[in-house]
Amino acid sequence: MKNQSRRSFLKNTGAAAGLTALGSAGFPAIVKAQAKEWVLGASMPLTGPYAMAGALGMPGIIDFIAMTNDSGGIGGKPIRGIMEDSGYVPSRSLANFKKAYAEAPDMAGYFGDSTGFMKLLAPELNDRYKVLTGSTSFASELANPGTNPYQYVSGPTYQDMFGILLQHISEQGGKRLAFVYSDTEFGKDPIPYGRKRAAELGIEVVHEEITKPAGAEVQTHVAQLRRADPDFVIMHGYVTGVWPAIIATARAFGMETKFLGTFWAMEKVIADKASAKVGEALDGYMGVMPYRYFYDRADAPAYQALDAWNKEHNEKYPGYLVTWYLEVRITLDLWHQAMEATINADKPVNGDNLAAALKGIRNWDSGGFFGKPVTVESHKIAQGRVYAYNAGNKLFLPVSDWLEV
Amino acid sequence: MYIGSARLSYRADEAIWQRPAHRGSVAALLLALLLLPLFGNDYTLLLAGQLCIYVIAITGLNLLTGYTGLISLGQGAFMGIGAYATAVLASRYGLPIWITFPGAMAITALAGIAVGLPSLRVRGLYLTIATLAANVIIIFIIRKMEWLTGGDRGISVTPASIFGVPIQAELAKYLLIMPIAAIFVLFAQNLFRTKVGRAFIAIREQDYSAEILGISLLRYKLTAFALGSAYAGAAGCLWTYFFTALTPNQFDLGLSILFLAALIVGGMGTVLGPVFGAVFVVLVPEVLRSLASLATPYYPMALQATAPLTEIIYGLLIIGFLIFEPMGLTALWNRFWRYIDRWPFTR
Repeated sequence: MKNQSRRSFLKNTGAAAGLTALGSAGFPAIVKAQAKEWVLGASMPLTGPYAMAGALGMPGIIDFIAMTNDSGGIGGKPIRGIMEDSGYVPSRSLANFKKAYAEAPDMAGYFGDSTGFMKLLAPELNDRYKVLTGSTSFASELANPGTNPYQYVSGPTYQDMFGILLQHISEQGGKRLAFVYSDTEFGKDPIPYGRKRAAELGIEVVHEEITKPAGAEVQTHVAQLRRADPDFVIMHGYVTGVWPAIIATARAFGMETKFLGTFWAMEKVIADKASAKVGEALDGYMGVMPYRYFYDRADAPAYQALDAWNKEHNEKYPGYLVTWYLEVRITLDLWHQAMEATINADKPVNGDNLAAALKGIRNWDSGGFFGKPVTVESHKIAQGRVYAYNAGNKLFLPVSDWLEV
Repeated sequence: MYIGSARLSYRADEAIWQRPAHRGSVAALLLALLLLPLFGNDYTLLLAGQLCIYVIAITGLNLLTGYTGLISLGQGAFMGIGAYATAVLASRYGLPIWITFPGAMAITALAGIAVGLPSLRVRGLYLTIATLAANVIIIFIIRKMEWLTGGDRGISVTPASIFGVPIQAELAKYLLIMPIAAIFVLFAQNLFRTKVGRAFIAIREQDYSAEILGISLLRYKLTAFALGSAYAGAAGCLWTYFFTALTPNQFDLGLSILFLAALIVGGMGTVLGPVFGAVFVVLVPEVLRSLASLATPYYPMALQATAPLTEIIYGLLIIGFLIFEPMGLTALWNRFWRYIDRWPFTR
């Protein structure tokens, strides 16, 4: 990645577009035999409890389609998106999936918006639809090609994230640990693994605090935490709320415990908003981020391309793309890679071949999304980095090297 | 020429559909439901199947709330009991749908009786809160019994199989669910021509008076809870085979509220109310979402503006119905038939 500049990245992309422009004559026969366009379906929560995350992630799909089509599509064919709002209701997402599939039975890919949807879809996806499907979820059980052959996780799973955090705590000499997590499937996902791994590393889990995913009575929870007096607290199962309030309240209670989080509770925009209210309470908050933050794009040609694209096409572009956008984008980039590999191998574009191509991604240069070359193992990419929030300059800055699980 | 609802015999007086036009409309509806698979795709059949399941659950709620006057906010959780009972019986014990279906109904009916016990002492809003608490407790128990239900991770089942034919395709699921829904609606219709149904209505109108007339409140209130819950259990069982993957949050309080809202919009205390209510809560948001995504091919970002708008419009539609037709959609339907019945003398 380091030997690839933004210019060369764009040049390569342009070369791909040029090849496309030469016409379909040069493409494998299978491309000509299949549909005139690739259909990519998506469900996003534009209403409901995660509407904010959905609204900020949705442009990731739209930009992906527009940028790919601008550079000639995939195998010379454009992508057509079928996007619907889900309201974060899994059965609605499932209806959206079936609606898209009814409209385009040769749908080549789908982006789902929750673990609940991925689970609801899985039985029929395995038996009937066989569409390669990525999502917003990092649920550990989705990263299992045996049970979910057509689903993938575009980063480390929540268990992997816990593994990285626990390793970091161990290296910092942490001995007393507490888990704070939401009373949801999302929140509980990595907890059993976390307990086991902590024990292996000689870290004592002195307390577990379970909260509502939103609107939790933070003071009561923090009072319990203070009584347990842990050195470190790992929080999980939150997106926009609860986690900043827990940290701020703990600081107000005089606690010096170090707080850590996972991907969905690591967004700069949320940390900035919280900091505007509570001052420097979030300073030093750490967590696992699978992807580079968007402002760290000096060595990331893919980010530079996104920056250039948004400057040109998005009037309201603030110069920063949220991590939720990046997650959507890398999920679709992985699908893109699988598509290219399948087409180049002159195989029909279907779920089985795409899943095989996904598994075949080895040492891929993601253009800066990930710190290390990407290898897909067990339908996931098990690498990440620990970042810490600096309330002074309002940036999450790396405190570890890129770690592989 | 007869107009209105002239009934010239006891048989005519007892008929469910009293005019040829009524019978014709029901026949046309059944025919349309049977022919739907010829024209519908998987998406249409998914919505139709979901709608039929909702019709069963809301009809159960109607027995309890609409006919007996016992307002319940626990129907979603009862459906969850039926769904999980089915999943456990099918996945852990390998039982076929012939057993899981009545089994789920029986288990849910027992749960309904347990939850209904407070109805003997509390009424109105107090009973509503008791059922709300039951809803929360039921979902909590489902989530905590991980060894049985899979907890928050959920549970999966293999598709139902009838005579060795797996009910896996959308069409097969629809053809299983739709007739069951029709039978359950018909059963409810007939129930109110029996002693039990009349006792329910008497309790709704004034329970003390009903008791003075010799109606056992203990027996009939608990029967209403058992029947309403059994309907929810049946809906839950079909839901399990319909989606084949369950998580507890599918049956949270929101679903109970949705069922109650559907019943109010459709029309409480009428057999068609749950049908109209289910159509409203399943199809109207879908239609609105489809309208919202019309502009997406031309301007993808439009969805971000139109999606929240659909929620507002949906809310306004519900408020509009409550203001302009508080008796529900059934009242509009009845008004239409009164017009037809009295034609050509209608004004």
